[in-house]
Amino acid sequence: MNESKSNLERVRAIIRSQYFWGIVAIFLLLLINLIKDPSYLNLSYNPTTGAFVGNIIDILRAAAPILMIAVGVCLVIATGGIDLSVGSVMVVSGAVTMEFLSAANQPDSIGAAALAILLALLLSTVLGLVNGVLVAFVGLQPFITTLVMMLAGRGIAKVITEGQNTSATNEPVRWIANGYAFGLPVVFLIAVAVIVVVSIVVRKSALGLMIEAIGIDPKASRLAGLNRRGLLLTVYAISGLLAGIAGIFATASVMTVDVSRTGYQLELDAILAVVIGGTSLAGGKFSIGGAVIGALLIATLDKTVLFLGVPSSATPAFKAIVIIALCLLSSERVRSLFRQRRLTTPLTPKETVPS
Amino acid sequence: MLSNKRLAPALALVAAGALTMGLAACSSDAEAPGGGDELVTVGFVAVGPEGAWREANEANVQDTFTEEAGYELKYAPAANLDQKSQIDAFTAFVDEGVDVILLSATEGSGWEDSLARAQEAEIPVVLVDRGIEPDDSSLYVSRIAPDNVVVAASIAEWANAEWPEGANYVTLEGPAGVGVVNERNRGFDEAINDNFTKLEAQTANWSADEAKGVFETMLKSYDNDIQFVFAQNDEMGLGAALAVEEAGLTLGEDVKIATIDGTRGAIEALADGRLSFVAEYNPLFGETLVDVVEAALAGDTVESYIIVPSLTFDSPEAAAEALPDRQF
Amino acid sequence: MSEPLPIVEMESISISFPGVKALDKVDFRLFPGEVHTLMGENGAGKSTLIKALTGVYKIDSGDIVIAGQSRRLTGTADAQAAGIATVYQEVNLCANLSIGENVMLGHEVRGPLGINWSATHRAAQAALDGMGLGHLDPRQPLATLSLAVQQLVAISRAMVTKTKVLILDEPTSSLDAHEVAGLFTVIRRLRDQGVAILFVSHFLDQVYAISDRLTVLRNGQYVGEYSTRELDRSMLISKMIGKDVETLRGIGSERRANHRSPGDEPLLRAEKIGRKGSIEPTDVTLHRGEILGFAGLLGSGRTELARLLCGADRPDTGRVWMRGKRTEVSNPKAGLDNRIAFSSENRRDEGIIRDLTVRENLVLAVQAKRGWARPIPRREQDALVSKYITALNVRPADPERPIKNLSGGNQQKVLLGRWLATQPDLLILDEPTRGIDVGAKAEIQLTVAQLADDGVSVVFISSELEEVVRLSDRILVLKDHRRIAELENGPGVNADTIVDIIASEVQEEVGA
Repeated sequence: MNESKSNLERVRAIIRSQYFWGIVAIFLLLLINLIKDPSYLNLSYNPTTGAFVGNIIDILRAAAPILMIAVGVCLVIATGGIDLSVGSVMVVSGAVTMEFLSAANQPDSIGAAALAILLALLLSTVLGLVNGVLVAFVGLQPFITTLVMMLAGRGIAKVITEGQNTSATNEPVRWIANGYAFGLPVVFLIAVAVIVVVSIVVRKSALGLMIEAIGIDPKASRLAGLNRRGLLLTVYAISGLLAGIAGIFATASVMTVDVSRTGYQLELDAILAVVIGGTSLAGGKFSIGGAVIGALLIATLDKTVLFLGVPSSATPAFKAIVIIALCLLSSERVRSLFRQRRLTTPLTPKETVPS
Repeated sequence: MLSNKRLAPALALVAAGALTMGLAACSSDAEAPGGGDELVTVGFVAVGPEGAWREANEANVQDTFTEEAGYELKYAPAANLDQKSQIDAFTAFVDEGVDVILLSATEGSGWEDSLARAQEAEIPVVLVDRGIEPDDSSLYVSRIAPDNVVVAASIAEWANAEWPEGANYVTLEGPAGVGVVNERNRGFDEAINDNFTKLEAQTANWSADEAKGVFETMLKSYDNDIQFVFAQNDEMGLGAALAVEEAGLTLGEDVKIATIDGTRGAIEALADGRLSFVAEYNPLFGETLVDVVEAALAGDTVESYIIVPSLTFDSPEAAAEALPDRQF
Repeated sequence: MSEPLPIVEMESISISFPGVKALDKVDFRLFPGEVHTLMGENGAGKSTLIKALTGVYKIDSGDIVIAGQSRRLTGTADAQAAGIATVYQEVNLCANLSIGENVMLGHEVRGPLGINWSATHRAAQAALDGMGLGHLDPRQPLATLSLAVQQLVAISRAMVTKTKVLILDEPTSSLDAHEVAGLFTVIRRLRDQGVAILFVSHFLDQVYAISDRLTVLRNGQYVGEYSTRELDRSMLISKMIGKDVETLRGIGSERRANHRSPGDEPLLRAEKIGRKGSIEPTDVTLHRGEILGFAGLLGSGRTELARLLCGADRPDTGRVWMRGKRTEVSNPKAGLDNRIAFSSENRRDEGIIRDLTVRENLVLAVQAKRGWARPIPRREQDALVSKYITALNVRPADPERPIKNLSGGNQQKVLLGRWLATQPDLLILDEPTRGIDVGAKAEIQLTVAQLADDGVSVVFISSELEEVVRLSDRILVLKDHRRIAELENGPGVNADTIVDIIASEVQEEVGA
């Protein structure tokens, strides 16, 4: 009896969790695709490449870069900040990778690949640290700081490639974005591994608690002895690093960095993914799992739009409608309309209508 | 002295070239006493990084309007293909009072006011490659470009010959609403046979990365039953080629890809058999541009549309032959 | 008072939340022209009752009759339409609008060309005049006013809407005596105009000064309705906490019995510690197991001095020795590392971390001392939390509940637990009992006394001088950002002694 009750409560907790509707939306989109084509979810195995082939695989691969930046932005948002520069850090990272590989011109060298990636991630982390220093030590607003970095980042990428779109050939790097391991796309596996590592670091250490604390109440956290500056620096650096990984993913798939398109406006996708995942833009409690769901939803949505053949001109509207519907469903106020019950938790002052 | 005389039709490019050459000589004679080393300032409202074609085109313009040739070129690329930044740059050039403005518009519409301002300031505007919509030729001196309609039609004609029985095809477009996209669509749609089935047209924003993702899904969506891809630039065609390879299909057999632009990467891919047809969209028309600018400064009437001749490559052999001399 | 018809009559009101019966068949009556205080410990159901009356909560059962009509209130707008207005503890105004705009918000005078601003400001001026606030210029930005005057503006705003029932929820908690007097003048004026006023406050003095009648709640249940004149303080407290008040009285005598005269080396010695603009250079000495009270009015520098000692603010003059060793306490972390814990007077903004659970709030400072890389294992956390929940009698004893859902007193206990968990040698408590109910207050005082007996040194700051006198071994009196006296506590010392010290320093008259 006790156990069944706790099971029931667990189910309730999932339904109440913010990202529940994100999961529902993913399933709905898949269902729509399935109606259009009953074989949509089929997976076949290609023995020559050793890979599974199917729409789901495509979605997972497309989700990888968004997953990276969504997790990074999620942590930044939890501190009460925002990182608008992730898309631009992506293009910087991609530009470094491609420019280095193109100069090295060693199509099969793992060493060149490793060096290129190391260099790209290093620079991305430095850009994240610059954000962190400006926010934590100089005291600039995160929005302004990262907005400047967003503009500067694309400029840096153009300087690196001398304003052009650089292509390169390097099999190991290409494999990262296009290869398969255990029948699954390598990018997705790397993304999962990175997320697992980040989650463990954040949740098994006290980092997560501290990030939430400074996000909810910086003053109280300081008095409780938390090192706000150090935490902010760490979080922006992590976001930069993850965006760097995303940049390598995005450019390695075609082995070209497109200085005006790579990562363009992806910061919006990342923020959206975080919000869909139930992390408030005001900061505080965050959910990496939610951000992951959000990123998967956005990838699914992008692919669905293509699969259904929605005309290019109608695509933005279609995406907007889905996302607005989702935000409505997950809003506490709308949900309470559906629930024919009295408010069960007292409203906090923020949520009450000013009288 | 030549002001009353109309220039020869643009098709007689050589003749036009000769005339304007003479013109240039005249004008430099005239200017010499006033201050021979005064440079002509040219404001170039450019597109900026977009792909190899644009790179070649803009480099060519920059290499032509040099100080040695008597020009000071102010190069203003758009920020992320954003029209707003172009309009800002254009206005700045007008305010600054440059002698001539070259304009490659990222988007065709919305230029009337800016062009009218330039006209008021008596600054001639020459459109480079991209046209404007609606095409009011009284607002500018001339547009110099390869003809998108003709280039796109050449792809359709090749496809008509390749699949006399018709085929299923998709189009990978640039951003929706852009003038060049509309022109390339028009040229292709008018020339393609009725027995072809257009399954879908999607934008991939000129980008290889996006084209790869788009075409990967299209293949799944139509169960690989797509014989032909019309990619409106080389990058998107190359991106689609990657998607075809990843789907385990054979390029040139299961799926044939035709692209517009003819950059080195595409010609190489054609030589390797990864693309099947490349229609050049010739970016190297700096010389013609100089002639038109000279004529405009001298106050002469110039043909409102000067078409730059372009080539097509329909086989690996033709591509291999063209490769050594390829300049872009 | 001949009893006219009540303007509000709530009968047998019940409201439940999952697992809690917040109100259980509570009756409440409010008459025109009276000030009626709702009394009870935090968690007794006062807020819930007010929210039922203002339409924020729907009632499960019972009747609400307003001006003779039975009502089902469906929201705050509905309650406002019925003539009920609320002024909350946190002033609910727009700081960036002018005073007049705030007063008239939503009731601007309209002319043919939209809002007629001069007429609107005239109307605002009239409303302010009616409150005795004629000296305010309605065109000034609200932000230029002190919090106390803002509150009066909020009341003016409520009166613009033809309010018949005015609810004042803890209006005095951040006001000084002078400001309270000003507020009471306004309240009396409104009462004389026939407005029914529902007042909530934790300050017994104020309750007795202003209210005509009391309704006492305990644990969501109705205890009774009394005329203020007929119920003395100890009876009131007994009714509120349900037990007699001897425990409270015991603390003081016990402290006095334990009073020690220290001779050993002081735990803390600060020499000429000060900061420009907040506190003049001051000497502070504190021995082990000693309670040092800081007495002084709001803004006297008592909080500022405490913040320098714990590292919350950086002093720009002076030197500090801890345990005989020269020490720099440059930030709160350094304070904690030196075993100094500081509990801010601003519980909401500088104390609790709202959305975190009781457990997370409690372990936070210990965790900060350890650093992020060495998380406290969950079992250790649970042990720590259950230890302090039990020791401090935190209710509800649920460590996984977000702290924002606890009452003020229990939040304060959790915070006390947070600091105690760092095992401080020096605990600085700034207004630890403000805005919390009598029961929790007694428990916190007992805990503080117990800590001192165990050898912890305490700096105790409170606006309630009785409390300072009851607990402290020594009292530092501050005024106008400087120390004006230091006295050993003893039989001859009481709240009046301190008031006299402060008052004798006064040049110009300050309102009582």
